[in-house]
Amino acid sequence: MSKNKTIMRITNIIFGFLAVTLFIFNFFVLIRLQPKMINFEGISEFENGLLTAVGFNLLVILVFYLLSLWHFVRYLRNAEAIKPLPLFLVISGVLSLLFIFSDIALLTDIHKQYLNGLSQPEWRMVFPIMAGQFTVTLLFLFVQITDRYKIKSDHHPVRDINIFLILQYVGVISGVMGLALASLAFFFPSGWNLTTHGVLGGIVLLFPYGLALLYWLFTKFQEGDRQWFDEKQSQDIGKSALMTLIVTTLLMLILFISYLWNLSPVVQMVWLPIHLYATILIFSIGNLYLNKKG
Amino acid sequence: MRLENNLREFRFHHNEISQQDLANEVGVTRLTIHSIETGKFNPSTLLALKIAKFFNANLEDIFYLVEDEQEK
Repeated sequence: MSKNKTIMRITNIIFGFLAVTLFIFNFFVLIRLQPKMINFEGISEFENGLLTAVGFNLLVILVFYLLSLWHFVRYLRNAEAIKPLPLFLVISGVLSLLFIFSDIALLTDIHKQYLNGLSQPEWRMVFPIMAGQFTVTLLFLFVQITDRYKIKSDHHPVRDINIFLILQYVGVISGVMGLALASLAFFFPSGWNLTTHGVLGGIVLLFPYGLALLYWLFTKFQEGDRQWFDEKQSQDIGKSALMTLIVTTLLMLILFISYLWNLSPVVQMVWLPIHLYATILIFSIGNLYLNKKG
Repeated sequence: MRLENNLREFRFHHNEISQQDLANEVGVTRLTIHSIETGKFNPSTLLALKIAKFFNANLEDIFYLVEDEQEK
């Protein structure tokens, strides 16, 4: 094993243990503070500090997810094929990473509502989400300790396909979650905010997609070929792009006609997010389908 | 008419070279080789020639036309 790989592995394991410890600390703090905040009892300055530490800990855990994802993606780049288990690890890692932001948002809301004397229904979501993330953290640490998915060699395929497919899987996750977030505007128009849900939510949801896209671009520059795709890939991408054009045009047409005589502020806010997420989702599904089809 | 090929056979006789190794040699992805082998994708003339050159064979030995039943 090269020196770099050993350093990387040790760093991952250290961050893994740190993440598990910080999760236990977070659970301890939140279980202690939940009844106090629900009953609007006073919390001390020290406890307030603990709550801030919970937020900071989540950022350290986020670093562990990023490091683990980086490892899995590098493993998959050289793998013969994308097998279900490593793919599951990547997907669960991306979801856990996205939910770190939702944890921070939920805890911030809870704190604000506590200060304003309002009920905090968000507590019901905090623990199940964190339990899921904790399970993923344990799984990632286990994988790192057992060195199950070693990066076999630095000899990359001349032309990549695996990173391109991972990008599509991440695109499906970002697209589905983005459409779900944008659709909430129709059900809760007064609670949906363009800056918070539209812009900030969009940045968070597209963060993993952006990272995957950057890594894919990096592989393309490493390949050093003027043509980024081989002929089969070009054909598949062309078909996916056509399908995306047709479906998103129809979708936007339906949206436009539905609100033609009753242009609500909701549509003015969400038409772009819907278009963007639908484009990413359909393009990604198209590429994955054509790849599976052969 | 449709294009068929003996690519799998050629790989076998070439020390069972893997799809990935052949893909690396001719500068395509593993899935492109797989799709050609399973008859789901027709390669361009350039790629077909590259494959033939790699196996040191004539193009027609690897790729050949088959008449469809309806055309007979």
